[in-house]
Amino acid sequence: MRLKELTEGTTIADKLLLAALIIISVSGFIFIKKAFPQGTDVIIEVNGKQQYKLPLNTDITVSVKGVIGDTLIEIKNRKVRIKESPCPNKICIHNGWTDKGAIICLPNRVMVNIGGSVGIDSQREDKPRKTIDAITG
Amino acid sequence: MIKKLKILAPVRAQADSPRRTSRPRTQAGSLRRMRRQNSKFKFFFILLFAVCCLLLAVYGCTPREERIFRKSKIIMDTLITISAVSDSGDKAEAAINKAFAEIEKIDRLVNFFSGKSEISDINKNAGKKAVAISDETFEVIGKAIQTSEKTNGAFDVTIGPEISLWDFHKKIKPEDRAIKQKLQLVNYKALMLDKNSRSVYLKKSGMLIDLGAIAKGYAADKAVEAMKKNGIKSGLVAVAGDIKAFGLKPDGKPWKVGIRNPRQKTRDDEIMATMELTDMAISTSGDYERYFIIKGKRYHHILDPKTGYPADSCRSVSVIAKDGAITDPFSTGIFVLGPERGIKLLEEMEIDGIIVDKDGKIHTTSNLRGKVEIKGTN
Repeated sequence: MRLKELTEGTTIADKLLLAALIIISVSGFIFIKKAFPQGTDVIIEVNGKQQYKLPLNTDITVSVKGVIGDTLIEIKNRKVRIKESPCPNKICIHNGWTDKGAIICLPNRVMVNIGGSVGIDSQREDKPRKTIDAITG
Repeated sequence: MIKKLKILAPVRAQADSPRRTSRPRTQAGSLRRMRRQNSKFKFFFILLFAVCCLLLAVYGCTPREERIFRKSKIIMDTLITISAVSDSGDKAEAAINKAFAEIEKIDRLVNFFSGKSEISDINKNAGKKAVAISDETFEVIGKAIQTSEKTNGAFDVTIGPEISLWDFHKKIKPEDRAIKQKLQLVNYKALMLDKNSRSVYLKKSGMLIDLGAIAKGYAADKAVEAMKKNGIKSGLVAVAGDIKAFGLKPDGKPWKVGIRNPRQKTRDDEIMATMELTDMAISTSGDYERYFIIKGKRYHHILDPKTGYPADSCRSVSVIAKDGAITDPFSTGIFVLGPERGIKLLEEMEIDGIIVDKDGKIHTTSNLRGKVEIKGTN
């Protein structure tokens, strides 16, 4: 039996070490899955149509054509911002840098989604609005 | 682990020590020892394997709990957010995508501004001929006409010619003469629906159907339908302010919807009231959504079909009913009717509503009292 040859000369400590290593690696796999649940892609849509899918870890600046003009989106140091926008109130620009969630520019119909397209509702985020699921009006 | 150590230790010592000291050994004894050692190792690895399996199983089972998955998209010129309760992100996303596809389909059919929509086809052929349309467009126009009849024309789907005169982005108030002139083109009774041929005919040239005050509510209905068909038992579709909720949240509570304060002054008074919603829709029409102010007078996008000018007896109207295709047009129609006639009509129809009149006073249907938590509009 090969197994015997392999384990010949191993001590209890060796076996414990082996067991510990296997358990650590398995739990490491689980931990990574838990800690980083989704791929960090940046998805840029105009009017609901996907224009770009970019990795968050690559610095890049792209321009997309919206309904009233071009929106400039910058990815840098794993963060995203809208750098330039033709919209009147520039709410999207004032949003600044972010690394999760979405940046929306409704006047130009541009939406930038970070970290997977489906967001899981976290009870911890959005504290003031925690109790409200949607707003009408 | 400690227990295993105790068992292994003496056996190990026994197996190791004789190998070096006593020699020669009998073949049978050596084989027996080998087998014993082998089975011990097997046991050890099986145990290890079992521990790993257990860990993986525990991991595999934890995400089974239900959570709310959310996705937003810009369609129909507005932000649409769909939430689905599911134990699987993939299942939720698939259902949400189906719901979005349904909304996109409706947008393609009824978009007032797209030259390719069925609505623009009907409008182009006004005064010329009847146009055959899809079941969806037929259904939504049918519902719009029902609302027009119930509100005695306070909601009118043929408001298009008047709406087209206004530009709330560029703050253009049309000439009084132009408003008066186009008024004769606004009349839902001159819109002919033919059930047999599934066609629509606008009697006068220049008439325009605008489904802007019903399409979003209808889209919310269709999106909810699509999610249910795809195995989602609870969720919420918010097509801007047209919201439809079904089922309960993972914590067993109904969905909570906030009604926007029509005169928000600070960051903290965004919401004027909240209410819990399940298997119901809510829509709000307000004079603060698209408007401009000239010489202290507010001009907004909710036009009275009888005058062509913005209706001015309300600030905001919210209607709560089973379907978005009811709440959306009725919130507009009730806004035009005003608080007194509006509440009366809603109570007659046994649907609920909350109205903020032009002075900021809140009116609710009697059935709604106690169901809505009012914070005030200051």
